[in-house]
Amino acid sequence: MSQNRRDFLKTFAAIGTTAATLTAVTPNIAKGSSRRELSIDRKGVLVDTTVCIGCGKCEWACKTAHNMEAGNFDDYSSQLTDGSQRRPSENALTVVNQIDTSIMNSDKVKLQCMHCDHPACESACIVSAITKQENGAVTWDTDKCIGCRYCMVACPFQIPAFEYQKALDPKIVKCDFCYDRTKEGKLPACVEICPVGALTYGTREELLIEAKRRISKDPDKYFDHVFGEYEVGGTSWLYLAENNLVNKVFPKLGTNTAPGVSESIQHGLFAYFVPPVALYALLGGVMWLSKNKDKNEGGH
Amino acid sequence: MEHAFKPEQMTKKYFTPWVIVLSAIALNGLGFLAMRFFFGIGSVTNLNNQFPWGIWIGLDVAAGVALAAGGFTTAALGHIMHRDKYETIIRPALLTAMLGYTFVAMGVFVDIGRWYYIWHPLVMWNGNSALFEVGICVMIYVSVLYIEFLPIVTERFIGKVNLPGFLKKFNLLVDGLLRKLDRGLEKTMFIFIIAGVVLSCLHQSSLGTLMIIAGPKMHPLWQTPVLPLLFLLSAFSVGFPMVIMESISASKSFGLKPELDVLSSLAKFVAPLLGIYLAFKIGDMFIRETFVYLAEFNSTTIMFTLEVVVGVIIPLRMFLSAAVRNSTTGLYIASLLVIFGIVMNRFNNFITAYNPPYAVESYFPSFGEISVTLGFVAMEILIYRLFVKIFPIISLPIKNAGLKAKYAIRGGLK
Amino acid sequence: MRKLFYLILLVFLASNLFAQNKLSKLHSKQNLDCSTCHECEVPTKTNPCLALCPRDKGKGTTHKVEDAPKVLEINKIKGEKDLYGAVNFSHKIHAEMSEMANGCVTCHHYNPPGKMVSCDFCHNTERSESKANIPDLKSAYHRQCMGCHTTWEEESRCENCHALNDEHKSTSTTSEIVKVHDSVTRPQTKVYETPNTNKGKVVTFHHNDHIELFGLECVDCHKDESCQSCHNQKPNFKKAENKVQHSSCNTCHETEDEKQCAKCHQESETKAFNHFAKTGFDLNKYHSKNTCSSCHKTKGSYTGLNSQCKNCHTWNNENFKHSITGLELNEEHSELDCTDCHENNNYKKPTCTSCHDESEGFIVPKKLPGKRIK
Repeated sequence: MSQNRRDFLKTFAAIGTTAATLTAVTPNIAKGSSRRELSIDRKGVLVDTTVCIGCGKCEWACKTAHNMEAGNFDDYSSQLTDGSQRRPSENALTVVNQIDTSIMNSDKVKLQCMHCDHPACESACIVSAITKQENGAVTWDTDKCIGCRYCMVACPFQIPAFEYQKALDPKIVKCDFCYDRTKEGKLPACVEICPVGALTYGTREELLIEAKRRISKDPDKYFDHVFGEYEVGGTSWLYLAENNLVNKVFPKLGTNTAPGVSESIQHGLFAYFVPPVALYALLGGVMWLSKNKDKNEGGH
Repeated sequence: MEHAFKPEQMTKKYFTPWVIVLSAIALNGLGFLAMRFFFGIGSVTNLNNQFPWGIWIGLDVAAGVALAAGGFTTAALGHIMHRDKYETIIRPALLTAMLGYTFVAMGVFVDIGRWYYIWHPLVMWNGNSALFEVGICVMIYVSVLYIEFLPIVTERFIGKVNLPGFLKKFNLLVDGLLRKLDRGLEKTMFIFIIAGVVLSCLHQSSLGTLMIIAGPKMHPLWQTPVLPLLFLLSAFSVGFPMVIMESISASKSFGLKPELDVLSSLAKFVAPLLGIYLAFKIGDMFIRETFVYLAEFNSTTIMFTLEVVVGVIIPLRMFLSAAVRNSTTGLYIASLLVIFGIVMNRFNNFITAYNPPYAVESYFPSFGEISVTLGFVAMEILIYRLFVKIFPIISLPIKNAGLKAKYAIRGGLK
Repeated sequence: MRKLFYLILLVFLASNLFAQNKLSKLHSKQNLDCSTCHECEVPTKTNPCLALCPRDKGKGTTHKVEDAPKVLEINKIKGEKDLYGAVNFSHKIHAEMSEMANGCVTCHHYNPPGKMVSCDFCHNTERSESKANIPDLKSAYHRQCMGCHTTWEEESRCENCHALNDEHKSTSTTSEIVKVHDSVTRPQTKVYETPNTNKGKVVTFHHNDHIELFGLECVDCHKDESCQSCHNQKPNFKKAENKVQHSSCNTCHETEDEKQCAKCHQESETKAFNHFAKTGFDLNKYHSKNTCSSCHKTKGSYTGLNSQCKNCHTWNNENFKHSITGLELNEEHSELDCTDCHENNNYKKPTCTSCHDESEGFIVPKKLPGKRIK
């Protein structure tokens, strides 16, 4: 029995050491990446919905740039006026909807991934397949993804789509801010093709200044709010519109970062592995004490 | 009326009419599973871009993990607190937990789109992700459970190794290996037992953190920052009712007398645990003032009321009554109600509460999804039945034996 | 030493002054408000604070619509994908249409003194991320065009203006060139119902008469109109309120005077204005081309004239040429008074007897006081 107890202590000490090492080695994992600095030069797109004519060329260009079935570019504008409120899906990374088809030429809103500054999907992804790149793009790594769809649960804008119909190699599909194109110095495909310049690509900072300039210059034309400036901690895509887009196009979201309290809880539970190790020690202690008590009683 | 107990293999024959019904259900589930792997998730489920998670996550995984809580709660009670009285129920609880978690892993395996990458979380880490935490903990805990189960395997085969045919000559070697394994396990088992409890506490709560990131997509009746705590507390409170339910079911099924005195005293723990859970749930509701939503009358509030009233308050009252605790039927019904409550809670958290902003239609599980879920449950029961026939799991009363030696579990601290 | 210092100072000041003068020379003769180009009150050389887009300001160069270039080829835009060919822009037609709105500045919003600047003076031909505040050329063009072209057409039909480049030629049959605009036909008569008025719920508007008879130009009524006012076919199109409609009439018609309502608001459709039916004076072929005001000299007053020619015509060969009747008077007769031959306001048949004897054969048309023409 004494042999056993010595073993117990020995092993316990070994576990303690291992845990301490783990703690020392992995603080960056436990602490998480969302607290990293965002680049000041990160890019964004300013969407001026009052300018958009709903031609759907951006949808076509997007599909073409991403090697998706694009069809004829003449057929896109007619989808806009049938009143359907389409969503980005596995077949289209971006769509343009007219919000209220009963009012002629009312705001038309292009929808795609907002490329949050603090993306919930990045925080949620079990294998770190989603990354907020330095240039602002939130990209997805096919080779890592296990297809758990937790990013879809997490996304406040309900953007990521999934290829449910594929038995093998189904993918999460969402706008990648044309990461491959912008790396080469090209504009995102949608921005490049937009005939009326409803989309403006630039650093997020400059775009915010420009957005506010437009509002102050034309207060009658614009609703006084740049959607995406503060929502869910800021998004790379910013929207100007004639009317308030909240509740019509976008859900009502606070200004807290998209992962919300989830990360704080997660880090609270695993702050340098202290709580688990403490619990382990506590339970070990209880076990040892009750064992002794048991033995003493048994000895009688 | 102290009896001595010893775990024995069950001798009753395997096939009964119920077993055949369960086999049919399991086969049906397997059929749809095959469809899922050949034609994709979309061909079997009602999942879409609005509702990425259905009952395979909400029930198979979330509720499955909760219901397997019996494993760690009884381990904590029996091994860590050394309440020797409850040793008889540790093995069945362990087996349930082991099978439960195996099927949780299976649930995850069939639900994820790229199942061949299921090992990725082991090498690609994301400390921010609650799911990563759940995944890692569950993976480790499943291994721990298998290790905890190993002594039962060694106990079964030591001295009885009898390999067929030409393998006969290895009998001695295998026997020796088993003995070595047994000795090694005996010395280190306490590590795994404590680890099992710690891991359970961690991932039971992290399972609650999972849906917090859904933020405003989740109905405020359920969405709260204390979700992890509620999940942990509810897991605590469902552990014992699950063990009680199983024990009674197994007794009935194998024609044994239920070990009522053990179960009754086990049931004494349930009311306080349920009470704490209820207090936190109601307290949270009042602090966040979400009770205003109960003024509406719709499917969401009905589900919430069912969950709390039928699943928590009624069984709480039942477990407080000594009369109920001392009757097999009372215990059985009360335990079933607690289980119902927790299953409802997990279902509500993952499915009822999830209201995506652009949903065009609400989610209802398809026939295929239900078939697979039921199939998993049926398979679990069938394997449980098979295991108790192969391994000494369920304790039977024996006579003329010293109390201590007889119910000692290999691997427990000696 | 001190001299040198003063000299340097003088040169410095002088050069400053000169520079100032040189700048002001550029600005001189242009009679511009500073705020046309500068946003701040005191622009300096280092910080001229030039306005980003001097839209609707600086109406420097103007020319008549008739002088506008007829067709312009728009081919300066460079995009990644050349889906469409160049656009042949019917500039003159659009310039004429713009008369209904704001004129040339509708499009030429930056119009500094000097030569008319082309769009790419400000708008970059290539799209890049550098300029967030000025749209590039492609955007600028489309925004100008689509402002009108989307107002009546919900679908943005690119082929209306663009020819598809060969490799992108559509295979579908729906994309044949759509006619941009039907020729505008001038309505003869329009009948408006005015259900909100107490009496007289029908207003008959003789559109053609206002042009033909009353000599109005299109722009006299159709000013500041968007295409939408005619082309919006949506069911929820709100009819303009009465006030708005009155506004296009009240330059000539009294709309405030309640006694005058019945002039337009009748119970049923009315016939076109007929001078003979109304006044007994037939505006026959001789008067049909006259404007109202050539006889009704007092503005707004159409009374006081009778059917006597003398109301308007005095005989001095200046404001009445007898030759218009087909008879050019010879010299002797052209000096006579009208009433010498036309007694009792009878202008159909002259009497010659006051000077001539009928028995001698002086009877019209046997013998004429001049020679017949035509």
